[in-house]
Amino acid sequence: MKPAPFEYCRPSSVSEAVDALAAAESGRVLAGGQSLIPAMNFRLTDVSVLVDIRDVAGLDRVTVEPGGVTVGAAATQSRVLADDGAAAVVPGLRVALRHVGHLQIRNRGTVCGSIAHADPAAELPALAVAVDATISVEGPDGGRNIAARDFLLGPFWTALDDAEVVTEVCFPAAPEGAVTVVDEISRRAGDFAVTGLVAIIEPVDAVVRSARLVGFGVGGAPMRLTEAEAALSGWAGHHTDSAVLEAAAADAADAFEDIHATAEYRREVLGALVVRAARKALNSGASP
Amino acid sequence: MIPDIDDHIRHSTRHIGRSVPRREDRGPLTGRGRYVADIKLPGMLEVCIVRSTEAHARITEIDTSQAEALDGVVAVYTGADLADVSTFPDYIAYIGAVRQRPLATDRVRYVGAPYAAVVAVDRYVAEDGAALVAAGTIYEPLPTVADLAQALAPGAPKLFDDWDSNVSVDVAPHKPEVDRAFEEADHTFTDTYWSQRQTGLPMETRGVVAEVTDGTLTVWSSTQSPHMVRTAIALMLGVPEPQVRVIHPVVGGGFGTKTHTYPEDIVVPWIARRLGCAARWIEDRAENLVASAHAREQRHDVEVAYDDDGAIGAIRCTSTLDMGSGEIFMPGTAPVFVTNACITGGYDFPNMQARTVGVVTNKTPAGAYRGFGIPEGAFVMERIIDRVARLTGTDRVALRRRMLLRPGQTPHVMHGGGRLDSGSHTESFERALETTAPALERARTRHADDSDVRVGVGYCNYVEPTSPSYHLTTGQWGGHDSATVRVDPDGSVRVAAGLSAMGQGNETTAAQLAADALGVSPEQVTVVLGDTERAPYGLGSWGSRGAMMLTGSVLMASERLLDKARRIAAHLLEASPGDIVVSDGAFHVAGSPQPSVSWADVGTTAWVRTVDLPDDIEAGLETSAFYHPEHLTHQLDEDGKINAAASWSNGTHIAVVSVRVSTGEVRIEDFIVVHDCGTVINPALVEGQVHGGVVQGIAGAMYEHFQYDSDTAQPRFSSFMDYLVPTCAEAPPIDVDHIESPAPDQPLGVKGCGEGGTVGPPAAVAGAVSDALSEWGVDLTECPVTPVAVRAAIRAAEAAGRGPGATR
Repeated sequence: MKPAPFEYCRPSSVSEAVDALAAAESGRVLAGGQSLIPAMNFRLTDVSVLVDIRDVAGLDRVTVEPGGVTVGAAATQSRVLADDGAAAVVPGLRVALRHVGHLQIRNRGTVCGSIAHADPAAELPALAVAVDATISVEGPDGGRNIAARDFLLGPFWTALDDAEVVTEVCFPAAPEGAVTVVDEISRRAGDFAVTGLVAIIEPVDAVVRSARLVGFGVGGAPMRLTEAEAALSGWAGHHTDSAVLEAAAADAADAFEDIHATAEYRREVLGALVVRAARKALNSGASP
Repeated sequence: MIPDIDDHIRHSTRHIGRSVPRREDRGPLTGRGRYVADIKLPGMLEVCIVRSTEAHARITEIDTSQAEALDGVVAVYTGADLADVSTFPDYIAYIGAVRQRPLATDRVRYVGAPYAAVVAVDRYVAEDGAALVAAGTIYEPLPTVADLAQALAPGAPKLFDDWDSNVSVDVAPHKPEVDRAFEEADHTFTDTYWSQRQTGLPMETRGVVAEVTDGTLTVWSSTQSPHMVRTAIALMLGVPEPQVRVIHPVVGGGFGTKTHTYPEDIVVPWIARRLGCAARWIEDRAENLVASAHAREQRHDVEVAYDDDGAIGAIRCTSTLDMGSGEIFMPGTAPVFVTNACITGGYDFPNMQARTVGVVTNKTPAGAYRGFGIPEGAFVMERIIDRVARLTGTDRVALRRRMLLRPGQTPHVMHGGGRLDSGSHTESFERALETTAPALERARTRHADDSDVRVGVGYCNYVEPTSPSYHLTTGQWGGHDSATVRVDPDGSVRVAAGLSAMGQGNETTAAQLAADALGVSPEQVTVVLGDTERAPYGLGSWGSRGAMMLTGSVLMASERLLDKARRIAAHLLEASPGDIVVSDGAFHVAGSPQPSVSWADVGTTAWVRTVDLPDDIEAGLETSAFYHPEHLTHQLDEDGKINAAASWSNGTHIAVVSVRVSTGEVRIEDFIVVHDCGTVINPALVEGQVHGGVVQGIAGAMYEHFQYDSDTAQPRFSSFMDYLVPTCAEAPPIDVDHIESPAPDQPLGVKGCGEGGTVGPPAAVAGAVSDALSEWGVDLTECPVTPVAVRAAIRAAEAAGRGPGATR
């Protein structure tokens, strides 16, 4: 569990970081390192140059505005979790981050790093898709903004080019009156989800007016649950669960199987999570 | 038995029975504990072991040239280089001989099998070299057997060409009375129960440091049994045993995995001798998962004969252990014998016949793990009782009450020969039930408003063999242990024991024992464990033997020492030795505290002012004792029975769980323990053992499952991301209560308590979840009880038309 030899650099600007990545045979950005370093220690990932962006001025900034929260690439999960202003504008940040790892992991791990890592069972990429976050990247040819749904392509696979670096992610504010629920089945506290759900639900008079649902730990990337969203529209607590369960199972028809769960299990608990989230939203009427 | 000293202590106890604070924690807690990995020697080189990536293959070529050319690599050795090292001994005649070599020479039988060693200036370079050796290795893959069914199939690929099959051992006594019981019973059922593969996972992985100085080979090893490692090194390397010293420094847990003597214990000293400089190998976490012993993987094919009223007339059980490749010393077969010996527990029923089978597969060798076969047997018994209760409409608690041994029914010999010397089988169950009733009520109230949640309760009454024979396990060693007690000129006491310590608190225990035996305070006692040069030959710590073996050996040695000290004191006081008593560190004539002489006076006379000694007393004040417990036997009798444990602890575990039907999530709301390990020396230490054991038991009940791919016999994971070890966040509230039923034949009545905590959780949790899901008729037959397993059971029931949601 020692990494193969690699070079390490610590640029002080984004452009230096991009240059270092462009010159590298196989460069990787180091921010929190909570997934990358173990992968290197297991020699599962081939890294010739590690570009540590923690000295880049301003990258750890978290900007809270009425329209959304912008999180810089070096901002830690703990920093964002503790930000009451961010939680007020984008409640999903706080409820999602509570599920991420343990305290020690969140103290080093970054919000943007988790999204760039694109673990299919991670909470933050799913939140990014659910709220229509925008990922800003810089590369040799300049910058571009990518919608989260277009950024996350598959397991550990993003639209990021080799020499590009994520600089920030902008999470738009939640709609007025919406309830954000992040719920998951995980085997132990702090584990990646076996199956999880980000739900942004607008209840009106004890009925679901609209719901935006994104499943994670189900497919290769965060998955919009369009059938379940339709089934949930107009749903009230006294309605039966079966239509919602069936719709969620249909959304998750291609759920994967791994050491922790069968595809069948993922399909059925995804529905259970949707029902649980809807009930919670209808009961709370306000953000948890 | 040591009646004199027992009597002396019973009348002067001041430290035994109290939660004397642990003395061994300061170093580890302040970051100053000196573990094997903290040992730094001048010029020390780093060893990385190269391990097989194939589950079963011939190695046709190992090209080490690229690794040898790497800057910083000092040497690369393969099995061929170790031709002068003998194989690990195959001491047990009735199991298949594996002739294990420290490094495989031509054939590997599991992923992780060591076949080469890279020696380099640091671990980074050593791993770079290991990667090059791996790249230079050519395998000729052989067909694999990944599980018992594959290994036992007709024409299955064999791991050992000279064996008839993959069966290492198959012992099947035939009992005609069991056949008759089956013929006469109202009903029978058959089923198969499973216990899944786990590994012990000490927080500190294994590690070995070795150097040769002035003709002595000194080896630091994170082992539970330093003397046994010394004997193996001397034997296998052909070094006179006095020239080998094995030290186990601070050890961060063992849990049985470190009772084995591993290839690295031989290879690293060999390298140190070969290169003439210090060498070290520290197992990393990923290695530990495949290179240290696995355990628990057993299949139990059960037939049960029972009557309409729930009375169990007979059980037949074939217990089959998946031994992995079997290439481990000591062999890993013993736990399945213990399983069959312990299935009955404290339950009395007329007939039992147990067949014991061990089978090799292409997986990491199975060996010791805390619990050592007991949890597997308890699981089978409790699941059988719940099944019979359900089939006959009998109350589960009432059926257990009927079967449990009652006060006055001990000693009781179980069907396998184990002799329950004393115990509180009924009392512990009743007391645990008293605690359970309000806990169950709380859980029901808590979830009363949630129609998705069901609450259930599960029971396990178990027995725990303590201070066992090592002969059935090793084919060589027996069951003694040792202590040397010395009083120095300044009156300080030094206890050196053959026991080792991996965190249990054995040093604290030894100090309490010696303090009370010699009439001093524990602070005056220095304890030395785990160094073959400083402590007498002992077998180490395993098998819940620390408390009893320390009690026996320390008290025996103390009694001898006290006898001599009394004679010296009597001489100094010009009194008769028979009139001398010792208390508060001073000797005086009984009934008249003055004049008195101190331990320092006696020690000084014995060692320094020997001119003051009487002519008939030798100088020196040091005695040794080798304690062997009463009733411990080492060989099967003519009926195939054996009492291979000196005493038997017992206890009751009850789990109260809630189950979320829609997701299969299980939560242990309360875990109730009533524990009886005989006389308690230090209540805080016992409580710690129970808590830690229960959480490890919960690991087996709900989380850990070491899985292999059935086609390739490759491990399905390599890290804690997937091998799920419960943490404090997963630990439920644990309620511990003690009963003390002294061991009638052991000093002070001490039994043992190291493993009992692990025994109950699988049975109790599976029973509780089955109870919670009784509307579906769920009857779990294996662990871990995962959300996926729970949902699968509910789904299967509903597909069969059972359960509230099922369409009829």
